[in-house]
Amino acid sequence: MSYHFGRKKSKWTPYLLLLPGLLFYFIIALGPSMATAVYSLTNATGIKGATVNWVGLDNYREFLFMGRASVDNLAALQRTLIFSITVTLVQFTLGLFVALLVNQKLKGTNLFRTIYFMPVILGVVIQGLMWSLFLYPLGGPAAKILSVFGLRSEFLGGQPTEAFAWVIFIQIWANMGTTMMIFIAGLQTIPSDMYEAARIDGANTWQLFRNVTWPLLTPSVNTNLLLNIIGSLQAWQLFLVLVGYRNGTQVLGYLIYATGFGQTSGSTSSSFRQGYAAAASIILFLLVLVIGMSVQYILQRRERRILG
Amino acid sequence: MNSQPKTMKKIPWGKVGSYAVLIFLALLYVGPIFMLVNTSLKTMPSFMKDATSLTTELNFANFIEAWNKANFPKYLLNSVLYTFAATSIYILTAVFVAFPIARKYIKFSGAFLTLFVIALFLPPALIPQFQLILNLGLYNNPIGYIMLFIVNPIGIVILVNYVKTIPKELDEAAALDGCGYFRFVWSIIIPLIRPAIATVVVMHAIGIWNEIIAPTIYLTNKDYYPITRGLIVFQGVYGSNWPTLAAAVLLLTLPMLVLFLVLQRYIVSGLSAGAVKG
Repeated sequence: MSYHFGRKKSKWTPYLLLLPGLLFYFIIALGPSMATAVYSLTNATGIKGATVNWVGLDNYREFLFMGRASVDNLAALQRTLIFSITVTLVQFTLGLFVALLVNQKLKGTNLFRTIYFMPVILGVVIQGLMWSLFLYPLGGPAAKILSVFGLRSEFLGGQPTEAFAWVIFIQIWANMGTTMMIFIAGLQTIPSDMYEAARIDGANTWQLFRNVTWPLLTPSVNTNLLLNIIGSLQAWQLFLVLVGYRNGTQVLGYLIYATGFGQTSGSTSSSFRQGYAAAASIILFLLVLVIGMSVQYILQRRERRILG
Repeated sequence: MNSQPKTMKKIPWGKVGSYAVLIFLALLYVGPIFMLVNTSLKTMPSFMKDATSLTTELNFANFIEAWNKANFPKYLLNSVLYTFAATSIYILTAVFVAFPIARKYIKFSGAFLTLFVIALFLPPALIPQFQLILNLGLYNNPIGYIMLFIVNPIGIVILVNYVKTIPKELDEAAALDGCGYFRFVWSIIIPLIRPAIATVVVMHAIGIWNEIIAPTIYLTNKDYYPITRGLIVFQGVYGSNWPTLAAAVLLLTLPMLVLFLVLQRYIVSGLSAGAVKG
């Protein structure tokens, strides 16, 4: 593309004006992100002025193979996968189903959309506190409902597996709206005469979905799957607000934060093991990369097959 | 085909079923908010006696107590300051990154764009970022905190895609009239891409406003806390006093809900832009 705004010196104006934004990105995001790999090979702490030594792959070895801690780490890794798979499957399916429902010609669909999307705006802290109250074990609404069936539960304060299951539920509750909105955007790009043509050919509702909606929705399907997988592998903020750092509930993201910055918030505790936390970050990154890339590969092959 | 008389019309089961599912789900979303409102109006003894019963009193004292004890005015001001400063710096620099990339006015535009796209996959920058801020002497410092939020790669991608929809002939015509590069972007492009700017600004600002990890890591001085951190601290102190805590949460929820209803379309169009890209 030819540049019209002057020659010689003024040709450099775009570069000059681009520089601040680009530098910010390099210094604050891209650089630190890459530097995580370097830090993972050191015994860096979070204390200013402390000496930093190279320790090779020691952090990785310790994280994966040494003692009780590594057993907990691998359990957290497994939990991260369970969290991600459950959240992705349910959120994707529910998001698609709800998008199809509110995309019908029904009264009040706008209101429903707004309601389902609301938690996205409220943010993790409000989502978490809201549900902490709803799951109040001493006669809160959820406890009341259970008591009708003669059941009792401590909810977030109960067994680790139960607390974990509730966080999964709230994670899906909080983010289903985003998935739904992306599907709605996709549904609205499908021309309505496609449906009319299929209906004239005698297709029923299921056949319409299977042969028109589903294939034509491929771009949104891909976006949602990737966003859900990557997002859920990295999500842990709700754990912080809802249950805190509790044995038997940690996922990798929380583990990185807790080992890097101490379990108690803001205090200068001695558990600032940032080299080790960086190694854990790289392990999480590899997980995201391998899963993300494989899914991307499968999705692209599928897209080529369907859309040609 | 339709031999039934009009009055015997079949019950539209599809419609009924759809509404049943939609309403059930909506209850799951409205329920927690309703519980919050109900609790915030109760006194502590009546909450202890029966947490879920409908409130019979309108005990607004909870709100006054929450407002005074939670140091809300201070935290609110901090949140506004961080959000406003970081978003302004970000969007001003982002436009000048996105425009030349979209127009290929700089070399390697494609490569630059890729740099921003891959951000989604990169390892978390948490640890080195902390070391950077610490060694710059900006730990526990509002300036250091704001610095963390002056980048947003997805926003750049959205802006680039929108600039591409503006006809290139405009650049040529403006240049022929003697308009300089900066003035062209500033007074012609920025007004034209306002919808995309609004989307990016709203998404970015909401992200900063709701952030909880960064203030926990970077800000130890209470005077610097944003509202989210303040609320978590408040929960730590008043955790068992749900009526007051509920009032505090509501004080924060209501402005967000109002803002959401006003800005919803920008957020949704941002999501759609991302979807088209993917």
